Amino acid sequence: MAVEALKLIREREEEGRKLIEKGKESAAKILKDAADEVTRLKEQAREDEKSLAVQILDKYAKGGAEVEEEIMKNAETEAEKRKANAESNLDSAVNVALEKILGLV
Amino acid sequence: MGAKEIVGKIKDEANVECEKIMSEAEENAKKKVEEVREEIEVQKKRFIEAEERKGVEEKERIVRAARLNARKLGWAAEEEMIAKALEEAMNRLKEVKTAGFKGNSYSRIMAGLIKDATMSIIPGSSASDELEVIISEEDASFVNPKMLKKISDEINRDSGANVRLSLSGERIKSAGGVIVKGKEGKVEVNNTFEQRMARLSASLREDIVKTLFISLSL
Repeated sequence: MAVEALKLIREREEEGRKLIEKGKESAAKILKDAADEVTRLKEQAREDEKSLAVQILDKYAKGGAEVEEEIMKNAETEAEKRKANAESNLDSAVNVALEKILGLV
Repeated sequence: MGAKEIVGKIKDEANVECEKIMSEAEENAKKKVEEVREEIEVQKKRFIEAEERKGVEEKERIVRAARLNARKLGWAAEEEMIAKALEEAMNRLKEVKTAGFKGNSYSRIMAGLIKDATMSIIPGSSASDELEVIISEEDASFVNPKMLKKISDEINRDSGANVRLSLSGERIKSAGGVIVKGKEGKVEVNNTFEQRMARLSASLREDIVKTLFISLSL
């Protein structure tokens, strides 16, 4: 009877060890999965950063291009206005130049 | 404690230990992933801030370049009109030769240029000066010995010098104007229109700009 009991205890002890061993293996897998998840998250973050950098730069470049277009449009209008004004004063300017070239002033 | 109880206890303890190991692992795993998520969020926020700063700088660079290009456009328009005025002035010189300018005949204008050139030579020359007047073939009909004598007399009377101007047989290629030089060739004043334009370039441009863009600057 005692022998049977001891045998049963040893069997249970062995089963317990195996259960704990299995638990440890599962724990290791959980930790490995977590480490893999961390790696995936970091990799994803790096990819997101690349995409974000492009998006942000694009946003400001577009903003800059819009301002640039407006500045150049205004500049062209202003230049045309100045040229038109200068055209109306061209004859006077030619006379001023001639006076100097001809030595009359 | 009976064998049955011992066996039950062994089983229970194993189960508890196993659950503890699993639970700790799950907790650690969850904690690690959460920490990394938070770290990534902080890093992402910093990254976005840095990229936004770069973006603002890029936008400012584009705007600065655009403003410079706008100014260049204005300058180009100004330069175009200055060049046009000077070109038109050169074209009008032909008309001046036939129609005169502001009540002055071309001969009178030539006389003024000869006198101006001679007066520039006198201070550095000897008391008795033989000076030659060189003109272009096209202007030959506008200058004659009588006219040169009159100019010489005027200069001698006004300055006390003893200048004698004569017309050189040498001809220059020029749009107009004169070169006056000593017969020894040591001194020379070039009063051709091309040289005057070059010499007076800065003040000419200034006067032209003032006149061309007068109403805009007022």
